Amino acid sequence: MKPESPANLSEFQVSAFKFHPFSYDSSFQPMSSFIIRRLALSVVLLFIISIISFFIVTLTPGSPYPWGELNPKISKEVKETFRKKFHLDRPLPEQYAFIMRDLFTGNLRSIKDDRPVMARILERLPATLALNFSSILISLAFGTLLGVTAARHAGGWQDVSGSLAAIVFIALPGFWISYLIAIVLVNEFHVPILGTQSYGIDFPNAAAAILDRLWHLLVPATVLALGGIAVQSRYLRATMIESLREDYIRTARAKGLSEEIVLYKHALRNSIRPILAGIGMLLPAMISGSVVIETIFAYPGIGRLSYEAVLERDYPTLVAMNFFVAALILLGNLISDLLYAAVDPRVRLE
Amino acid sequence: MRSIRLFLYGIPTLLGLLLVAAFVNASFLSVVKKNEMSIGTMGEPSTLNPIQESDSASGDVCGLMFNGLLKYNQDLEIIGDLATSWELSQETTFQFSTEEEAYKTTQLLQSLLPTHPEWQLNSVALADKKLLLHLKQPGLQTSEIIFKTLTASGFHPLPFPSLDKGEKESPFLAEPIIRFTLRHDVRWHDGAPFTSADVAFTYHAIMDERVASPRSSDFELVSSLTTPDPYSVIVRYKKPFSPALLSWMQAILPAHLLEKVEPTKWAELYNRHPIGTGPFKFGEWKTNEYIRLIKNSDYYLGSPWLDSVVFRVLPDPLTLQLAFQTRQVDFWNAEPWAVQGVIKDHRFDIFSSAGNMYNYIGWNLRRPMFQDLRVRQAMAEAVNVAQMIRYIIYGHGVQSTGIFTPKMWFFDPKVQPLPYDPEAAKKLLDAAGWKLGPDGIRIKDGKRLSFTLLANNGNEIRRDIATLVQDDLKKVGIEVKVEIYEWAVLLKNFVNKGEFDAIVLGWGLGNDFDQYAIWHSSQTHPQELNFVDFQNPTVDHLLVDLRQEYSRPAILSMAAELQQTIYAEQPYLFLFVPEGTSVMWKGSYRICQPGTKTGEWIDSPVHMTKAGWNYNIEWFYRPEYPPDTERMRP
Repeated sequence: MKPESPANLSEFQVSAFKFHPFSYDSSFQPMSSFIIRRLALSVVLLFIISIISFFIVTLTPGSPYPWGELNPKISKEVKETFRKKFHLDRPLPEQYAFIMRDLFTGNLRSIKDDRPVMARILERLPATLALNFSSILISLAFGTLLGVTAARHAGGWQDVSGSLAAIVFIALPGFWISYLIAIVLVNEFHVPILGTQSYGIDFPNAAAAILDRLWHLLVPATVLALGGIAVQSRYLRATMIESLREDYIRTARAKGLSEEIVLYKHALRNSIRPILAGIGMLLPAMISGSVVIETIFAYPGIGRLSYEAVLERDYPTLVAMNFFVAALILLGNLISDLLYAAVDPRVRLE
Repeated sequence: MRSIRLFLYGIPTLLGLLLVAAFVNASFLSVVKKNEMSIGTMGEPSTLNPIQESDSASGDVCGLMFNGLLKYNQDLEIIGDLATSWELSQETTFQFSTEEEAYKTTQLLQSLLPTHPEWQLNSVALADKKLLLHLKQPGLQTSEIIFKTLTASGFHPLPFPSLDKGEKESPFLAEPIIRFTLRHDVRWHDGAPFTSADVAFTYHAIMDERVASPRSSDFELVSSLTTPDPYSVIVRYKKPFSPALLSWMQAILPAHLLEKVEPTKWAELYNRHPIGTGPFKFGEWKTNEYIRLIKNSDYYLGSPWLDSVVFRVLPDPLTLQLAFQTRQVDFWNAEPWAVQGVIKDHRFDIFSSAGNMYNYIGWNLRRPMFQDLRVRQAMAEAVNVAQMIRYIIYGHGVQSTGIFTPKMWFFDPKVQPLPYDPEAAKKLLDAAGWKLGPDGIRIKDGKRLSFTLLANNGNEIRRDIATLVQDDLKKVGIEVKVEIYEWAVLLKNFVNKGEFDAIVLGWGLGNDFDQYAIWHSSQTHPQELNFVDFQNPTVDHLLVDLRQEYSRPAILSMAAELQQTIYAEQPYLFLFVPEGTSVMWKGSYRICQPGTKTGEWIDSPVHMTKAGWNYNIEWFYRPEYPPDTERMRP
C-alpha cells in the first residue's frame, strides 16, 4: 500500500488512451462524452470489484468473533445471537446484499465496535492524508533535485553515488529501515517518535507543541518517502537524459542560450510532465495508507485500520475499504488521463 | 527560470530545516512529567461498554472506570465493591400430591429441626401442596439428606422436570439466593446516585438479545432479580451454580442514562464515552492513538493520586519497547527472551509471576494409538519439559501439573509432574506392544507409531515446542510430523472438526475452577472445547458436583481430585506455565493505600501480590507528586 511511483505510468499510458503523434489538434474532441463513458464503465467495474472483494474477504478462513473462538466462557447461544445481529447466519449472497444495502444507505456498521464504518474511515483520514501528503512532497522535492543533479552530471560521481543510493533504498525493505531508524533515534538520541505527539510532557509553549507534532509526522513521512525519492530520481534522470539528446535542446544550445536555461526551462519542463500527471495516480495510495509504517510508528492511519480489520475479520469495514479504494483508483485513473491530456497536447481523449 | 530553481533547491532545503528544527525541539523538550500514568496497549479497545467488551484491551480500560458488586482483594479473596455485604442462602421445594402429605412432612421436619443443627435450616414453611425449606448454605447435600429422611418416613415427593435435556428429573427444586446490600455513598461520574435499579438494569441489559452481550451465559441460570429497596438486590437462581458468585464482579451500568436508549444506539451514545462509578472518569478517546481517563475526585474510596491515566495504542511489540525506553509508557511486558537482559539492569523494577496460562499437547483420543494410557504416559516421560522451559522461555516458567496453574487458589501443589525418563518411556511402549521396527520407529500390528503434530503459524513458542517434541519422541522410536497452519485454518479444518492427531495449544483461563466446557464428556461435538474427546465418568461427576458446591473446603478437595484424576489420565501432555514479567523504571511509582484502620494510610513500593502488581492503580502515585493524605478521607 505504498504510494505508487509514477515509474509505472507508461503502462496506463498505453492502455488508457492512444497516441496520435501526427495530430496536434485536440480542441474538437468533446471531453464530456469521454468522462461520461468512463464514469459508466467505472460503475460496472465497481460492482464487479465489490462482489469479488466480498467473497475474497468472507471466504477466508476465520471468524469475526471478538472474543476468540476457543473461549469456554462463551456459550453457543451467545455466538448465535452475535451471528444473527450481523447477518452472519445467512447465506453469503444474502450477506452481500445486506452489506451493499447498508453501504449505500450509510448504515453499514463495523463488527468490532458496532459504529458506522464510514465514521471509522473518515476519522482516520486526516492523519493518513497528512502523512501521505508530506511523504509525496518530500519524495517529489528530493527526487526531482537528485534526478536533475544526476542527469546534469551523467556519468560523474554525483550520478554514480546517486544511483548506488537509489538502488540501495529501492532494494531495502521498508519495515527494516523503519525499525532501524526507530531504534537509532530512540537508543542514541533518546527522542520519542511514536504516535502523533509526545506524551506526559508539559509543553513550554505552542511552538514546541507544534514542532513536536511536526516531528512525529516528518519521521514516518521521510521513511515512507525514501523509496519514492529513489524511484523518482531514477525516473527523472532517465527522462532528463533522453530530453537532453533531443533536437530542440541542440537548437536551444545552438541559439546560444545559457546552460541553466537549457536545463531548467527546456529539458526539465518536458521531463517533469509525466510525473505531474502521475499525481492523479497517487490519490488512492494517499488514501489507503501504509500498513507497515503506520504500525511501526504507531501512527493512527487508514492502513492500520484495514490491517486490523483483516486480522479481526471485520467484513463490513473490509468491504467498505475495498470499495472506497477501488472507487478512488478509478477516479485517480480518470484524473491522470485528464491531466495528461492537459499537459501533453499530443494526447487525445476518445 | 529563477522560480524553477527556487523550487528545485528551496523546497528540499526548507523541508530539511524543518526536520532539523523538529528534531532539536524533540530532543530538548523538558522532561517535566505530568502527574499522568501512561500505559501501552497492543490492541485498540473495541468498546468501553463493560457488558459488551470481550477483549483484554477494553477490559483494562473499563476496569478503571467501573465497579462490580464484588471484587478480588490482593489475596484473590472475594470482597465487596459496590456491595457492602452479601448473603447466600437457598430455598428448597418439595411438592406432594396432596395437601395433607405436605402438611405432615412440614410437621416432621419441624420436629427434627432442633436435633439437626448441621442442616442449617432457617425455616420450614407450607404452601398449598408444597414444602418450602430455607437453608443457610446453598448446595445439594442437605436437601438430599432431607429427601432421604422423608422417603425413609414413607413420604414420596413428586419429581420436578429437569432443566436441561439429558439431566435426570430432580426430587426437589433447589434455588440458591444471593442477597446484596449496596453502598449508600456511591455516585455515577455525572453525579447521579448509584442504586439497586442500576444492578437490575445491568442484568436485564446483559440478557437482552439486542445487546448481544458475551456475558449472558454467566447469568442464564438467574430465575429472578428483585430490588425490594434502593440498596438491596435479591438474585434467585434456577439451580445451584457456584461460579455464579464470580459473575457479580461484572461492572454495573448506569440505568438513568441507558434505560431509555435503544441498545442499537449505544455504540454512538455511550460506548465511546461512558459514565461509570470507578476511580477514573472518561476523558478523551483518539481512535488508534490513546484513551485518556481523568481522576474521579468523588470516588467512593477517595480520589486517586494520579491526575490522569492514558492508554496508548502501540500495535507492535518492538514499538512498545521503544516507547518504554523513551519513557513514553511507564510499563512494559517483556518477552521471555528480553527478560534476561532487563533483570540485571538496575534501572528497572521487575514484577514476575507465573501466569494463568499453560501450554500443552492435546492427544486426539479418537485415534487408537492414543487410547492406550501407557502410550500417553510414555510420551510424557520421553519429553524433556525442563529443557523446553530453559530454551524456549529462557527459564521463566514452571512445569505444568495439570489443568490448574499455581496462581489459582484451588491449585493442588501435591501433584508431582511425571519425571523425564526416556528409559522408562521405552519400557512402557514395549509393554504396550509397540516394538522397535527396522527403521527405528515402533510398530504394532503392522502400524507404525507415527502421527502429525499441528501448531499455529505466528506463535514461535508453539512452533519451538513442536520441534523439541519431535526430537525427543524420535529418541524413543516415535515418528512425529510437524505441520504449521494459520490460526483460523487450524481451528476450522482441524480443531473444530476434531480431526487431528495431536496439537500444540494453550489454555489461558481466569480464576475459575469450573472447567465443564473443556473436560465434560458431553462437550465433545464439533465446535465444542473437549476436542480431544476425553471421557471419564469420575471427571464428569466431579465437574458437575464442583459447579454446584459453595463451601470453600469442599471446592478445594474436589478441585484437587479433579486435577489429580485428569493428570493421571494424561489426555494432554501438560507442558509448562510461562511467567509474565512486567518492567517499570525504578521507583517511578509508589503505592499509598488506605489501611484497615480508619485514617490509616500504608505507603509502600509497587510490589507483587496474588492479584498482580497493578490491581490498585487508583492508589499509585509518582514520587514527584506525593499524596496529600491529610485532605483525604479514607
